[in-house]
Amino acid sequence: MNSQKKHLTDRVGVYAIIWCCSYVGSLFALQTLDIPSPAGIVLVVVTVLAFALFAYKYFRGIVQMDEVQVKIHMEAIVFSFSLGLLLLMTLGLLELVVGLNEDDWSYRHMLPVWLSFYFMGLFISKRKYQFDDEKHP
Amino acid sequence: MMKNTLKVERAKKNWTQAELADKIGVSRQAINSIETGKFVPSTVLALKMAHVFETSVECIFQLEASD
Repeated sequence: MNSQKKHLTDRVGVYAIIWCCSYVGSLFALQTLDIPSPAGIVLVVVTVLAFALFAYKYFRGIVQMDEVQVKIHMEAIVFSFSLGLLLLMTLGLLELVVGLNEDDWSYRHMLPVWLSFYFMGLFISKRKYQFDDEKHP
Repeated sequence: MMKNTLKVERAKKNWTQAELADKIGVSRQAINSIETGKFVPSTVLALKMAHVFETSVECIFQLEASD
């Protein structure tokens, strides 16, 4: 990986951390502090903007990657998208049959689950294209 | 699906995977994946490889007999 690509990847990581911090901060503030609605909406918008910035940098990072790395990320995205849809569909149908506790299953719970699906997909895909240093000098 | 002589061409030039990767601007993982048949490169990448090996794409990549 050349230094320019490495720099871009590092920057994506920085924007991911910024988004995570803003999300956790907003979540904490909205759940624990008595914030008026307009201020709450501002917090939500700030988090959305942080995510939008991260998504833009992530997209630019993907474009800079080579074909195998793009494929790895695309497979991870397809994996997480499929499992996320499966989970949404299952929860949606289950909700009609049994009452789901909102403290256990809400939109907020979907985010970490969906992210974990992405990292699972990334792990699986990376293993597929893993290489052995000794076999292939 | 597709076989390649990348390893042979690389050996002729006495290049490591890392060196080849540097020459065509991809990761070593990409070279390894192509060499081991896990990944089929795009036309552009195949042409770049042919260029650095000073040969044709057909010399490096061939369809399997079943195709």
